[in-house]
Order: sequence, then structure tokens, then C-alpha cells
Amino acid sequence: MSRAIFNNIVMKPKEYKSEVTPVWCPGCGDYGVLSSVYRTLSELGINPKDFVCVSGIGCSSRLPYFVKSYKMHTLHGRAGAVATGTQLARPDLAVMVTGGDGDGFSIGGGHMPHMARKNVDMTYVLMDNGIYGLTKGQSSPTTRKEMPAYITPYGGVEEPMDPVLYMLTYGATYVAQAFAGNPKMCAELIKGAMEHKGFAYVNIFSQCPTFNKIDTAKYYRDLVEDLPEGYDSTDMDGAMKIARRPNGKAPVGLIYKEDRYTLCDEMKRLVDLVGGSADYDKQKIIDLNRP
Amino acid sequence: MTGKSDLIIRVAGEGGEGVVSTGDFISAACARAGLEIYTFKTFPAEVKGGYCLYQLRTSDNRIYNQGDTFDVFVAFNGEAYELNKHLLEPGTVMVWDGPGGDFEPEIPEGVVSYPIPMTKTAKELGSLRSKNMVALGAVSVLFNVNEDTLIEVLTNKFKPKGEDVLNFALKSFEAGKELGLAHEKVDPYRVADSKGAKDCILMAGNEACGLGAILGGLDFFSAYPLTPATEVAKYVSAQLPKTGGTLVQAEDEIASLAQVLGASYAGKRSMTATSGPGLALMAELIGMSTMAELPCLIIDVQRGGPSTGLPTKHEQSDLFLAIHGGHGDSPRIVMSVEDVNDCINMTAEGLNIAEKYQAPVILMSDGSLAFSTQTVPTPNPDNFKIVDRKRWDGKGEYKRYEMTDDLISPMCDPGVEGGSHVATGLEHTETGAPIFAPAPHEANSIKRFDKLLPLIDDLGPQEVDGDADAEADIGIIAWGSTIGVVREAVQRLRAEGVKAKGFYPKLLYPMPVDQYEAFASKCKKILVPEVNYQGQLAFFIRAETSIKPISYTICGGLPFTPAQIVTKVKEIS
Repeated sequence: MSRAIFNNIVMKPKEYKSEVTPVWCPGCGDYGVLSSVYRTLSELGINPKDFVCVSGIGCSSRLPYFVKSYKMHTLHGRAGAVATGTQLARPDLAVMVTGGDGDGFSIGGGHMPHMARKNVDMTYVLMDNGIYGLTKGQSSPTTRKEMPAYITPYGGVEEPMDPVLYMLTYGATYVAQAFAGNPKMCAELIKGAMEHKGFAYVNIFSQCPTFNKIDTAKYYRDLVEDLPEGYDSTDMDGAMKIARRPNGKAPVGLIYKEDRYTLCDEMKRLVDLVGGSADYDKQKIIDLNRP
Repeated sequence: MTGKSDLIIRVAGEGGEGVVSTGDFISAACARAGLEIYTFKTFPAEVKGGYCLYQLRTSDNRIYNQGDTFDVFVAFNGEAYELNKHLLEPGTVMVWDGPGGDFEPEIPEGVVSYPIPMTKTAKELGSLRSKNMVALGAVSVLFNVNEDTLIEVLTNKFKPKGEDVLNFALKSFEAGKELGLAHEKVDPYRVADSKGAKDCILMAGNEACGLGAILGGLDFFSAYPLTPATEVAKYVSAQLPKTGGTLVQAEDEIASLAQVLGASYAGKRSMTATSGPGLALMAELIGMSTMAELPCLIIDVQRGGPSTGLPTKHEQSDLFLAIHGGHGDSPRIVMSVEDVNDCINMTAEGLNIAEKYQAPVILMSDGSLAFSTQTVPTPNPDNFKIVDRKRWDGKGEYKRYEMTDDLISPMCDPGVEGGSHVATGLEHTETGAPIFAPAPHEANSIKRFDKLLPLIDDLGPQEVDGDADAEADIGIIAWGSTIGVVREAVQRLRAEGVKAKGFYPKLLYPMPVDQYEAFASKCKKILVPEVNYQGQLAFFIRAETSIKPISYTICGGLPFTPAQIVTKVKEIS
């Protein structure tokens, strides 16, 4: 996103806290993600007036309320599409989407491929807890089959999906994964995402101690594994291979990064192509329809 | 039967044979000669081929609709003849492809027949593609289409494609003229003579919505293809970059409106255009626009429904959806357009109204207006006033949803120091914090409805056709493009001595109830013709006023004709 918004202000991470206190359950992974967002904003020196945080519906979608910034609390599944409009309308702002696995990959799943392939210049932080928390524990697209849930009392009947594999395939130009229990790594990856020009996706395992009793903090800690020494994050084949978890471990770190034109670049190119400007003589447009 | 200065020509044939271009050339030539034009087209839903109809009405007087039926019928093939032969009344004229075409018509008693070997001549000229130019040549000499302006139109069209293309077109045109001149003219129909060029433009409803958006200061448009609305986006996509704006194609209509609301939050004038199926998908986000008080304009170019319905056909059946589609109490502003001129002016005004009232505005067009080409006076860009949203003055503590005297809370674009706030779909306090207590929800519900009411006075009285104080035997209330049909019907009824009046509300919600009541109080009977099965406007009139209207509905995929309205009025008198 626009470099002009970086290093504009000196604020401590805690100064990015809004007046609203988080309402998440004790032990929720989202606290770690929130602190990483504060830390990122502080490290990048972003003035809260230039930051727009957009969310849909879900526990993690409450995150914008806790950040000092401009923000939108939109509809279930629609945060990415709303944020796309904001980003295209005002490329001078930093735009971040925050939400969960159900919001992003179930009801909002139809929007994911398009922000990725269009390379909308914004950051998407997805807190994956493998459950619908706000509605009290239904299975989500990332719920493991063995877990009984609210409306699957006899156990799951579906295979989960892997968000990282999808985002790589969809054409996201920055794909990272982390565990909320490691806020330092979360902050580093979110910072990289915000510095990235293009669509940046950060998948964060964020445990739900209330409704997901099998994907615990310990489970995630054992599941994740740092990328190997010398890993090349610009190699798509390598990224796809490791994202498929050949050794059963979920890779954490910057999995893939690519430089590509953004949708915003293209919009500007079209304006330049036709010699467009706010003072364009509209009479010329009208005259095109003279018989 | 129309007078001599008011002529209706219907051209029909197979899609791809040049039916539409034939009609377009005649229309443009007439418009260039200073005449009025109003066209009506039907397209096949198929990509290629299928029956295609282009009807053009031209006059040296103002035209309000497509007319009752044709004076002159130009049949490009046997299917067109078969589908229209029941309309060949005595006194009408048929120009048809023959000999050498794919049919041999029976000419009814009293119908004038001019066979023109369109296919045969085109083949002799070396290309079947010149069939429409042969037909055009013949029609132009038979019915007095202004030759100078027609040649100008053809030259403008074909010259950019090269001298050879132009010369071939003109050669085919000349051949058609010869064939036309070979007939002795025995009918009375002539295109009116030119009284000199007028300062006008010629465009279809969908394009006109696009132009209105540009003149209304549009910044952001998110599109998703949907018949019959797509040409709005087509026009805007070509023109909006010129004024520095942005058009994107979204992945679905839900994303379209979501993007529009995101851009609106960012401070930009934003809109989308769709048809009924898309509007249905947008229902939840329209509620968010209402709740978060984010301005947006949605153009609904209605088509036949429900479900996939009749994608290319005319219907006015989205009124319930537009006014009440959505969960909860979700007020929005709903307006309709009558003609191409309205498409320009009301789209521009729709953007202003959305900004001023911080609410969703749904502007309803329809399938026949979408493609109807009409002459309109050339707009002057300086006459389009841009009304901006109320913005925070930077003083004191900023509260996004502050209860103000006029119920409109100041907005604040991102980037302003001290103005950070949340736009939220949750019920909220004045600062935007979620709250689910009874009193705030009741107070905010009142705010969201009542803030729209001043619009009724802002827009001024909705049009009454006739003396507002005069008593009438029949009052006709119409909306959308049906208004133009009713205007002519009212004129004809008056000419026959019937005391008739019209009321043409373009603001459909909030409903100007007092104006309905005042109009109805002077009329013995109220007739509400509309192109939907249920009588949707009549339903709202019954629900919101004391009026007991007579609902007159058709839903055959075609607009009303003036004759239908006149007949109905006589039936109920």
C-alpha cells in the first residue's frame, strides 16, 4: 500500500487501543492477533486517521472496534468486497480486513478468489479457529472432521479446507501463516503484508478455548513448524508443496510473495490512457451522442 | 391511425441481419433532420439469431411512447411476416423481401404491398450482408427519409471502416433506392419534412443513465453483467475514466453493492446498476446502507420475473422489492424514470439525493426504456448542480450518528484527524458503539424513516397532467415508462370530450400521500395501469391512502399502448 502513510507519527502500540474493551473469552487467540496489529501500526508509524479496518461478522470481526482507526463493521462475508471499494476509491489509505474462517471462506468464500487474483492493494488478516464462535460452535470450513459440533452431534461429515492452499491458487501475491500464540511472528508477517504492494493474506491459527476443544493452543503449537532454512518464498512450486504439509506440519512464516500490478494500478492506467482528469470537458462526452 | 407527421415504422427479421442498424440509421437521419424519435426494440434472449424487432416512431411534434401499432412494416423474412401479419390492418403498408426471399405473403385487403428483392439484390451485389442497406435504400425513398442526413449518417458510420466499406454500403443503398422508386407510391405515409436541425442528442435509456451519472459527478461504479441493465455499465466504463473515476466489474451483485458502500464510506459518489435478480441479491446490503447511513445509488432496469423469468422483456414488477425488499425496517428512497431525458436528469439527481439523505436510492427503469432510443435536448453540463453530503466541521467531539435537528448526521471521510468512527450494520449509539436496548433502536428507527420525509417537499409537487383544481371523470396514476403512454391516452380522451387527468409520481417512496389524496379528490374514478400481475402501485395506494383505485395490469412482456388505456377508460366509465 501507499508508502506515504508510513512513518507519519510516533505512537506506542498501546496508544492504538480504542476506548472499547475486547469482549473475547479468556484464552482466545484473537487477543494475540490484536496485540500484533497494535504493534504493526506502531512500527510502521501509521496515523490512525489513514487506517481503515474493515470486518464482517464473527468473534474476530469485532477486532476493528478495539483499534483506534476509521472502521467498518459490515455484513457476514462481505468485508473483503466492501474493503475493495474503499481501497479503490481511496488508494491513499491503508486498508485492512480482519475476520474469521467462517466469514472468509464459507459465506464470504465467493469473494476471496477475486480480491486475490485482482491483487487489490490491501491486507487480509484471517483468524482461523476452526469453528463458528459467535453462534456458539458450529463447524466451519476449517473444522476437522473428528470434532462433534453444535449441529453435527455425531461428529463431522465433511473434510476441512486449507485456506493457504486456496489463497496460493487464487493468485494472492503475499501469503503468510502464523500462530496467534507467537504475536511477534504475527506482527512481523502483518507488517510485511502492509508493506507489500498488492493483496496480502495472513492466515493465523487462533484458538477458540470455548467452542473448539480439539484445536487448542497446544495443538496449534505442536502443529506449526517454521519454514526450512533457505526457503525461497518467491517459488510458487515450493510454496504449494510445503503448504500441502508433506510432513504433517503446518508451515508458518512468509510462504509466498510476488510483485505484480495491482487493480488500482490498472484503474490509474485507464484514466491515463484516455487522458482523464476531474476537469475533463463533459460537453465532449455529451457530443458523442449527437445523431 | 396516426397523422401524417407522426409515422411508425416497424422493421423485423432475424437477429444479425441488420434489423437494428436499419432502424438506427433511419432514427439518426430523422434526428439529424430535427425530428423527434422514440424507438422500441425487442431482442432474442439467444446470443445469435432469433426474432428481432425494431419499431421507430418519428414526428415533428413531441413523442411520449412507442405508439399503438405500425403504419409501415418492413419484413426481412418469413418469420417476421408470420409474427406480424395479424397486425396488417387496412391502411397499413408492408415492405417485404421478395421475390427471392424465404416467403410469399398473402396481402390482406386494403394493405399496400411493396415487394423489394432484398436478399436477391444483396446476393447480386456480392454480399448478403448488404441486405439491410438495400432495404434502407428502398424504405428511405418510399417514405421520404431525409436523404442528406441519411447519407451523412451512413458516411459517419462506414467511413472509419475504410473507403471500400463505405462505397459498398452506398452502392447497396443506391440499389435499394432504385427498387423503391420502381414502385408507384399509393400510401399516404411520409416522414415529416425537416424544419431545420435541433440541438439534440440521440440515446437509449441505459446509455442515458450512464450519462446522467457522469454529469452527476459519479466517482465510483461497480458493475455485474445482467440483462437488461448491462449497457449502463458499458457506457460508464467508456466514459468514467475520462473524468478520473473508477469502474470495476465485481464477482456478483452482492460484491457490487458491497464495493459501492466501501467507496461511499471513503467519501466518493458511488453507484451500481442491475435488474431484479441482482436487486434481490443486494437486499441485505441495502439494509446495511440504511443502517450505516451510507449513500448509494442503485439503478434497477426491471425485466420479467420471478426467477430468471423473461430476461429481455419489459415489466414493472420490482416495486415491492424496491420499496420493501430486505429484512427489518429498512427505509430507502425509490424513484422511477419515464423516458430517456429522465434517465439523464434523475440519475444525476439520484446521486445528489443519496448524498444529501445518506440513504440508498433505487431508481427504477425498465426493459423497454433501457433500449428505447429517443431524442433529447442536448444537456448543458453546467446545469447539473452537485449536492454533496453533509460533512463534519471539525469542531468538538465527532459523533457519526449524532441526533441532529434535521436527523442528518455529519459524515467524515477517512483521513481527517479526529473524525475516526465506525460505520456499522449493528444498531448503535450516536458514536457508533453497538447497543441493543429498546430506546435507542426506537429512536434510530424513527430517525432513519423520518429523515427521508423532507425529500417530498424538496422534489416539489409530483406532476399533475391537467388543471389541478378541475374536476375529472377519470384520473390515471402511472409510474415509470407507462407515464408516456398515459400522457397520450389522456390527450386522446380529452380530444373525445372525456374529462381526464393524469398523476405521474416519480417519487415512489417515501410516498407523497397528500398529493395522491389531493389528486384523487378531484377525480370520480382512479385508474392505475401498470405492467405487472399484482398491481403493485395500486397495492401501495390502497395501503397508504384512502383511495380505492381500479387496477389495470398486463404482464405479457410488452409495454402498454395508448389505445389500450383509452379502451380501458371507456370500459370503466
